[in-house]
Amino acid sequence: MANRTIQVDYIARVEGESSLELSIRDGKVDAVRLSIFEPPRFFEALLRGRGFGEVLDIVARICGICPIAYQMSGVHAVEDALGIEVDEPIRALRRLLYCGEWIQSHALHIVMLHAPDFLGYPDAITMARDHGEAVQRALALKKTGNDLLRLLGGREIHPINARVGGFYRVPTRAELAPVAEALKSARDQSIESLRWRASFPFPEFVRDYEFVTLRHPDEYPMNAGRIVSSAGLNIAAANYETEFIERQVPYSTALHSVLKERGAYLVGAMARYALNRDRLPADIRALADEVGLEPICRNPFRSILVRGIEVVYACDEALRLIASYEPPSRSCVPPEPRAAIGHACTEAPRGILYHRYRLDADGTILDASLVPPTAQNQDVIEEDLREVAMAGLDLDEQTLKARCEQSIRNHDPCISCAAHFLKLQVYRT
Amino acid sequence: MTGDKQPSVLVLAIGNPDRGDDGFGPAVAQRLRRRVHPTVRILERSGDALALIEDWDGIPSVVIDAMAPISEPGQVHRFDLTDSPLPIGFAPSSSHAFGVAETVELARSLGRLPRYLVAYLVEGEQFGTGAPLSLAVAQAVGDVAERVVNEVLTILKAKGKGRHA
Repeated sequence: MANRTIQVDYIARVEGESSLELSIRDGKVDAVRLSIFEPPRFFEALLRGRGFGEVLDIVARICGICPIAYQMSGVHAVEDALGIEVDEPIRALRRLLYCGEWIQSHALHIVMLHAPDFLGYPDAITMARDHGEAVQRALALKKTGNDLLRLLGGREIHPINARVGGFYRVPTRAELAPVAEALKSARDQSIESLRWRASFPFPEFVRDYEFVTLRHPDEYPMNAGRIVSSAGLNIAAANYETEFIERQVPYSTALHSVLKERGAYLVGAMARYALNRDRLPADIRALADEVGLEPICRNPFRSILVRGIEVVYACDEALRLIASYEPPSRSCVPPEPRAAIGHACTEAPRGILYHRYRLDADGTILDASLVPPTAQNQDVIEEDLREVAMAGLDLDEQTLKARCEQSIRNHDPCISCAAHFLKLQVYRT
Repeated sequence: MTGDKQPSVLVLAIGNPDRGDDGFGPAVAQRLRRRVHPTVRILERSGDALALIEDWDGIPSVVIDAMAPISEPGQVHRFDLTDSPLPIGFAPSSSHAFGVAETVELARSLGRLPRYLVAYLVEGEQFGTGAPLSLAVAQAVGDVAERVVNEVLTILKAKGKGRHA
């Protein structure tokens, strides 16, 4: 068989700038490179020398799609360092805030970025001409998520209201009431949207991933839990760096995170669902059964359904949290600086997001480490591509290229998030 | 659309004031405040362009934005987007999912374009973090503000409202 090179110079419908190069030699996939060429942004270095109170405003700028995830991992890690335990209503408000982010981020990805792949459209604009209702539903869902972010976070992009110890301002019950009404409608729309996607043609493709996710004793994980895996890992966030390591690859400005013992692993909706399905309410598990989702989904193309389940759950959970909300007597536990190291891991829409901060006695950040989900999924994405290409060797160039792009979008990569990390060595002579 | 009462006209100033000439829209918005009819709402937006569909919600709208240079920095282009898309070359694809041009076309596909949509685009020169407006773009701010005042006046006259913009 002739040698072939599949090259996609700019991968569309993902957040950020990346390219793909796939080399096929003698009927075998010889090399796969998901190359992230977005410039590194040096956020970890930027945090050094700043006060702990500035963390949330700085890390929120890392991503316009998942700023809450950065704020939540940041706030929990700093509070871990300072020994702060927040009051229960504050914990509930943070979970509510996270629900808003899951809804808006998943709604954007599912319909506007990923669905066109399954229906053979080049983009959502073209798809909207034939599936206008589906796109309208996605926009309405996204708006509901944004409304929640605006109310709790102060604004939907790079929110400003969360702080170490709690919030600057907490909402009243009256302020939450209209959002609850919108969420009821959003819940119905998310179910309709999920049923629409259940009929998509899904490629037969199964992978044996090691799933890594948070696991909480009672809840479907968002802000809290131990880091567990389908291969038996079970650690606190403080031990993250003993089990995982980031490594640099020459063709990318993003680091690749791997398990020291076993290499590639998958984070995100599929991992959460696989290891936490029992934490979903019975009616949502029944909905998953109805749309044909097996208890452990190993087909990444079907992740579009798993995300849909999580949108329904996030609407449900937000409604539950609003119904039981009583404004706290204080909006914030006053933080006291001390020299310490804090760690935290929370569930961004795309998977676990790890933060570590080392503070000195006056609360100045001495160093920081941030590991976003996309850095953790890169090896898996490349492995998927290798197998997708092997299975599609007989496909024509355009079809194989489209299948490879779809395969990348299965994991909703956020390239901008991943490109924070580059170790820069300057040699002076 | 946030707010209690639906505005008569929406001015959507798009851009980030901390990114050089990308701050053109917000700079024009500053000039427009207190110069337009109280029923005209001026919104500054950056980031999520898809939210524009919710913003305009059928309201006649004027969009102000900066674009990559194609001829001369500071050059201003006016486009009526009500019936046609931005011409090729004026509608660069965003690497971040949806830009203004894609959002306009998505709204057109969904039948959610306002009945009047005009865009003023300035060709930028520098978009560096923390950079100010370039001289050429800064000089265009007053001119575009004036043109938007007149644009709004025309819309209001057509709707039978007030004597001033």
